[in-house]
Amino acid sequence: MDIVIRAAVMFVFVWLVTRAVGRRELSTLEPVDLILLIVIGDLIQQGVTQNDFSVTGAFLAVGTIAAMTVFFSYASFRFPRLGPIIEGDPVILVEHGEPLMRNLKRNRITLEELAAQARLTAQIAHIRDLEWAVLETSGQISFIPKQT
Amino acid sequence: MADVPDQLVLKVARDREGRRDVLFRRTAFTAILILLVLGLLNLFGQRPQTSTVDHPAATLELTAPSRVRGGLYYEARFRVDAIRELKKASLVLDSGWIEGTTINTIEPSPISEGSRDGDLVFELGHVPGGQEYVLYLQLQVNPTNVGRHSHDVQLYDGEELLASLDRTQTVFP
Repeated sequence: MDIVIRAAVMFVFVWLVTRAVGRRELSTLEPVDLILLIVIGDLIQQGVTQNDFSVTGAFLAVGTIAAMTVFFSYASFRFPRLGPIIEGDPVILVEHGEPLMRNLKRNRITLEELAAQARLTAQIAHIRDLEWAVLETSGQISFIPKQT
Repeated sequence: MADVPDQLVLKVARDREGRRDVLFRRTAFTAILILLVLGLLNLFGQRPQTSTVDHPAATLELTAPSRVRGGLYYEARFRVDAIRELKKASLVLDSGWIEGTTINTIEPSPISEGSRDGDLVFELGHVPGGQEYVLYLQLQVNPTNVGRHSHDVQLYDGEELLASLDRTQTVFP
């Protein structure tokens, strides 16, 4: 029973951590972000299974994490008001070629990062050529160029 | 001018009306920081504390953490300062010391071990006056042993109770 409770508690805690650190950190692989992503998995494994090396223990831990994932996903789907809390919601970063500095700042994204992402993922050289840039709930930025 | 992308509402996605995501993020992060500070302040163990009790015949000192976490190794050090000769000194440890805990080592080995009303008895033997006897226990907390446990210790000389330490250990998950 303990392993199920530990896995559920760790799931909620890791969800809280991921929401606290911000979505950009979870979708990029900058050196500091990489540390978080690598270390988090290793540390929670010890907290969940502890000295239990059994297959049964692994079944229970994986099953609990899977069940919690489905539960959170279903809650977000069934009750749309929970969606922004559980997963966050999209944030517009650029509108008609103009960067929205307030939203960029709130998500700790610099203009340099935005421009780099635009070049990398959408092959757009200038922010002014963007109609929209949207920070999605996954932490990735989608770019919609201006129609010419 | 292009339309707003589907499913995006400008008031929400651009103006963040009714959204408290930054507040939520800061609150969650503050909660994590508070957790870390509490950890640094030893709320979750395992920094050892020293407790001492004096008796005209001897002083009993225990150094051990009163807060530990599942799986941790830790040391408990019992020091008996004999003021007068103790002919048959023994330490009696509450059963909370051993319940859900693995004893890895006891050094030096007591003359004998026994049980008294469910408590653990370590017979130390003769301790001359003016000398000290130090007993080391190396322990490991079993991860399922969560909760508060009595860690009382009593020092006897034969059947005479010389000193009693009342302690509790909290095991965090």
